Amino acid sequence: MSTTLKIVIAEPSAIVRNGLETILKRLPGGLRVQFSEITTIESLTEDLRTYRPDILIINPSIPGYFTIPHLKEMTGCPNMKCVAMLYAPIDHSLIRYYDDHINILDSPDEIGLKLERLHAKSEEDGDGDEQQTLSAREKEIVVCVVKGMTNREIADRLFLSTHTVITHRRNIARKLQVHSASALTVYAIVNKLVELSDINKA
Amino acid sequence: MYKNGKYRETDKMSDLICENYPMVLVMSRFGIALGFGEKNIGEVCRQNGVDACTFLTVVNFLTEDVTTPVTDLNKCLSIDALITYLHNAHDYFLNFRLPHLRRKLLEAITECPKDVAFVIQQFFDEYAEEVHKHMSYEEKVVFPYVRGLLAGKKDPKYNISIFRKRHDQIEMKIVELKNILIKYYPGPGSNLLNSVLFDIFATEQDLASHNHVEDYLFMPAILALEKTIN
Repeated sequence: MSTTLKIVIAEPSAIVRNGLETILKRLPGGLRVQFSEITTIESLTEDLRTYRPDILIINPSIPGYFTIPHLKEMTGCPNMKCVAMLYAPIDHSLIRYYDDHINILDSPDEIGLKLERLHAKSEEDGDGDEQQTLSAREKEIVVCVVKGMTNREIADRLFLSTHTVITHRRNIARKLQVHSASALTVYAIVNKLVELSDINKA
Repeated sequence: MYKNGKYRETDKMSDLICENYPMVLVMSRFGIALGFGEKNIGEVCRQNGVDACTFLTVVNFLTEDVTTPVTDLNKCLSIDALITYLHNAHDYFLNFRLPHLRRKLLEAITECPKDVAFVIQQFFDEYAEEVHKHMSYEEKVVFPYVRGLLAGKKDPKYNISIFRKRHDQIEMKIVELKNILIKYYPGPGSNLLNSVLFDIFATEQDLASHNHVEDYLFMPAILALEKTIN
């Protein structure tokens, strides 16, 4: 399963930041990473709030005051994993709130292992890996959408609340990575969920 | 691989193109043809009546992977030249790239079931129509407004933030077409279909970088221009 890992790097040194980014981009395995960089603590909370990363790699000595539990709470990202970026040996109590740490001398393989471990942990926290194919109910909804029915009409037809219909549609869009009704039409025809004549009638 | 650091007037045009082949599109949108020999960027621009500063601003913006709006714009940037560039890009997408892609796509899917071919064509046409709307809004509303600003007139009913709010990511929908073809295309594979897929990837990239220029280069420039006129 290919997953995209959103990583924020908060590190004042451009050399370390770019080096880390290069290593992460070349990691073997199915991890795809998306980056955002932060160089000062001022914009950190704001950026975390909008970006909501899976993993934050942060230099504990970045200028400015912060604590990890506080940061997780303030930004509304309780499941975000925080990894300390260390240049030198450091007293363990100073990094006890971090989920893990990367040492400046770690090899790319070690870094990859650490990230995979963290990622596996957060998977367990969540719903686990979910099915990417549509359920029977979702397929029914696709058919209705393609025929041009409104959420209200779909709800009435399938005896659901419109709220449930909307949730289903959101899940469909996420699973298929298809958002527009016209793309859904192509999906439905290709997978023989509907006939061309069904659509043209509508 | 790609060169590090910014390109300058004294760099050879041929080096720029060889190191960064998508720049061939930028060049032609500025109205510069191939066949410039050993000349450097500055000379080629002057010979073609192109503002070298604007050309280099766009080139360096695209090659450096800028991820934030450009606020420290070089004063020598010509907004007029930038508009011409954007206009030519629109012309390229609407009158060349999309029609060309459509012809090729239709030819590639002749082997697949009729109903599938029909909905794929329908999807593409709807998409092309959306791109058309998106771009003609810029042509009919945004550019005339900016040309007014350049002439010192400010339209009290419009400002560039309106554009900023409604400017959407036009490449998203072509991504959907790509996803569908990759995951669900029912016909036999063919070299032509692969080639169409490559074209879609390239078009997606090209549209994204076009939008990127509008959002992070053009828009900040207009915001700055608005502040100078009261």
